[in-house]
Parts: sequence; C-alpha cells; structure tokens
Amino acid sequence: MNASTPSEPTSRRAFLRHGARLLGMTALGALGGALAGRSRSEGWVWQIDPAKCLHCGNCATECVLEQSAVKCVHAFALCGYCNLCTGYFEPEPNALTTAAENQLCPTGAIQRTFIEDPYYEYTIDEELCIGCAKCVEGCSRFGNGSLFLQIRHDRCVNCNECAIARTCPGDAFRRVPASRPYLLKTSHAQ
Amino acid sequence: MKREFRLSTRREFLGQSAGALALLSAIAAQRASAAPTRARNPFAYDVSRLEKTDPRLVTHHEVARWPAPQSPARRLGLAPDGTLFVCGGHYVTAVSPAGERGLEIALSAPPECVAVAEDGAIFVGLRDHIEVFDANGRRRASWDAPGRKSWLTALAVRADDVFVADAGQRVLLRYDRSGKLLARLGEKNRERGIPGFIVPSPFFDVKVAPDGLLRVTNPGRHRVELYTPEGDFEGAWGRASMDITGFSGCCNPISLALLPDGRHVTCEKGLPRVKVYSATGEFESVVAGVESFAANAKACGASDCSRGGLDAVADAQGRIFILDRVTAEVRVMQRRA
Repeated sequence: MNASTPSEPTSRRAFLRHGARLLGMTALGALGGALAGRSRSEGWVWQIDPAKCLHCGNCATECVLEQSAVKCVHAFALCGYCNLCTGYFEPEPNALTTAAENQLCPTGAIQRTFIEDPYYEYTIDEELCIGCAKCVEGCSRFGNGSLFLQIRHDRCVNCNECAIARTCPGDAFRRVPASRPYLLKTSHAQ
Repeated sequence: MKREFRLSTRREFLGQSAGALALLSAIAAQRASAAPTRARNPFAYDVSRLEKTDPRLVTHHEVARWPAPQSPARRLGLAPDGTLFVCGGHYVTAVSPAGERGLEIALSAPPECVAVAEDGAIFVGLRDHIEVFDANGRRRASWDAPGRKSWLTALAVRADDVFVADAGQRVLLRYDRSGKLLARLGEKNRERGIPGFIVPSPFFDVKVAPDGLLRVTNPGRHRVELYTPEGDFEGAWGRASMDITGFSGCCNPISLALLPDGRHVTCEKGLPRVKVYSATGEFESVVAGVESFAANAKACGASDCSRGGLDAVADAQGRIFILDRVTAEVRVMQRRA
C-alpha cells in the first residue's frame, strides 16, 4: 500500500517568484497579440497628395506595372462643366468637338457628355487612363483643378519602395492608412 | 609555412593608393551614369508659345509699383476722387495713386470687393453679405445675405443703385442704397433673350458705364455682356481663343475696368494678361502680357486657378492700376507717348 506523501509547502518567496513570472508572460502575450491585431487592421498604402502634385508625367512612366496604378479622378463638385474644358481640349483646338485632334488626352480616356446648354460632363475611363496628368495640368492651369491624380488600390501592388515616389519631384507620395486610402479634393479650400 | 611580414615601401604604398582611388572613381562614375535623370516630360502641356507677347501690341508701360497694404490681396476699387481702395487680408485700405496709405477698415471676414459712391459711402462685399461704411470708415449697415450659396465678387454703385455680382448664385443683384433688393438680373430667360451667366469659378465682375448700361463679365461664355439697369440684355462681345485677341482658358475675362473714353480693360487668369478693347469690343492693344506676371502664371499651374488672378481699375487720367493677387503688388500703367 502506498502512502501518499504530502507535497512540500511553497515558500512565500517561491510563490511570489512564480506569480511575477506568470504575470510577465501574460502581459507579454497580450502585448504581442495587440500588436499583431493592430498591424493586420492598420496597414499602410501609398497615395498622392493632390496639393503637392506637379503633373510631371512620371506617374505614367515610372510605375512597376505595365499600365500605371495612378489614374486621373474627377471631383465633380469642383467642376465647372465647361464647354471649353481645358482638361479635355488641346490648348488651341480646331473646334469644340470630340474629334481626336481636338482632344488633349493621348489615349482618349476622357468622355465628354452634353448635359444642357452650355454644360458638359467629363468622366474618366480608367481602363484607358495612363496617369500622365496632361489633363490635370490643363484643368489646374486654366480651370478649377477638379481633375487630379490618385493611386487606385485595386491596381497598386503597394511596393515597399514605390518606384514613382522615388522620382516624384513634388514629394507628393506618402503613406496613408489603408482604412482611408484616398486623398480627395472636395472644395476650393484644398 | 609562416609568411614573413614586411612593411610596404613608399613606392608600393603610393601605387596601391592610386589603384584604389581609380577603382573608387570608376564605381562612382558608373553609379552616376546609372542614376535616373529627369527626362523631358513626353506628356507636357505646352502653352509656351502663348506666353510670349508681340511687343508691337504692347501700348503701356509701368510707371510705378507698390505693395498692396494687406495680404492676400483680392480686389481694387476706385473712389470718384481717384483714391484707390484695396481689399486684402481682413481689411479694406484706402491708398493714394502714389501708394500712400490712408483710411483702413477692419472687417470680421476677408473682403471680396469694394465700391465707393459719390457721397463717399463705402460698400464692402464680404463673401456672403454687404457692409456699408461712411467716408470716415464708421460702419453704418450690414445687409442680409442674398442667398445660401452666395459668393459676392464685385460691386458697382450708380446714383441710388448698388449692383452686386454674385458668383455663387450666378446672378446680378440690384439693391437700393438702403439695402433693399430690387431685382435679380441676368438669370437665364428664353423669352427675354437672356442667355444666363456661366461662372465656373469665383470671378464675376460688373461695372456701370457712362452710357448707363452695365458691363458684366460672363466668363464661361468668354465675353462681356451689356445690360440695362432693368435687366434687359443689350448685346455682348468677346470670343474664346488662346490667341491675344480672344479670352483664353475655361473662363475669362475675370475682371473689367472702364477707361474714361468708354474703352474696356480686361484681365485674364491662366494666361495672365491685361488688354484694351474698344467701346464696341474690338481688340486694340496689350497693357501687360504674360511675361509681366510670371509668379501669377505659375500659381495657376501647380494648383487650381481660383488663387491666382488679376484685377484692374482705370482712373480719370487713363492710368490703369493692376493688382496681382499672387505677388500682392499694384502696378501703375500708363500709355506710351
């Protein structure tokens, strides 16, 4: 018959030592978990600050993708819906028509739609847009600046070191939280 | 086998150093050639040809230049006695034609426009309402905002009437001197043959001409329109064109001044230039071309053009005062002899 031997009573010092170790490990685990969770939910992506963009043309040529992830976007709230849109027409067009020779965009990516006399709406065909910023320059130079460039995140591969950012002369590229991935123009104040 | 250590001779040391230096130079040169060079933009928006003015067309020269009293400077006004009023910062400041500062009126918001009546009453347009001051700068009245979307950009006074250009509502408002709204002029009306104002950006000007008709800019249609004080459309002149005889860009002219003989002075943005047109609207000459406003032209390049722009007034001697909103300077231009 085996007689159970009573376990050795834990000393106060040993109890405190074990307790402190347990507490430390729990805190470390909690911190690691919190950091891992945060990095998953708060990723960072590249974006162009429209206030700094110089419309230099690099976005069309420097992106690692075959067709740049940078596209022109249109802030309709700022647009004047002009008949003579300087983002759409060559500086000296033959006529204000949609004929190719009158269009500024090298790929014909801007659609011009009649609304009512004398207003026209301009929309960007992103499949055709190469992000060259020619229309952005025309619109900013003579108009309200309602056309501007943004990185589209359905295309961007989010390189660790963005190839366009490296050559951007206006230092307009910056990291933004993935939860708020666009820097949009919404008013004349911006 | 143990190698014997030996000190380098001076000749060997110099030879090895030269070799290392040559190697480093070669690496540096290779890196430099591999570094990205800024190529010419194949998509450049090129209007450089339009930025040069034919000197034969320029009829005025600058006789003085002085800084606007407050910055950012927005608009000019001219009192019947020839005193200039400059809107800038939160102030309207009276300035002599030589640039000496006088009365200064502090405001709660940036002034957008100013006009002075024969009796010295000063009408100041803030973005959404008008404030009235006496000749000593004491506030006499504040009129109600004409509309929720109002953006007042110009004022003109005639005897008992005050005309207000509201770019936000795209309408010309006629008030009496007490601030009672008498009429809304220039709204699109097919039956009366009124085309309506197209004002894509906050630049919309009105002047009362000596012939009693109003001269109103319609920048979206690239022309100046004539209206009676009752709002009947009397005609228009001007055309869209980048060349010097027309109005460039999406929306010009942005402001207007009248010479004593009834001719017009127009200001444009984008390609900042000031020109003279006859009383019936034929292009005559250039007061100052794009070359005169380099900073102003650049302001419109990098950002939207609502921050740039020029304004002008013409006094009884035919001198033209041009306010450059970007450099906050006033230039005094006189016709060449």
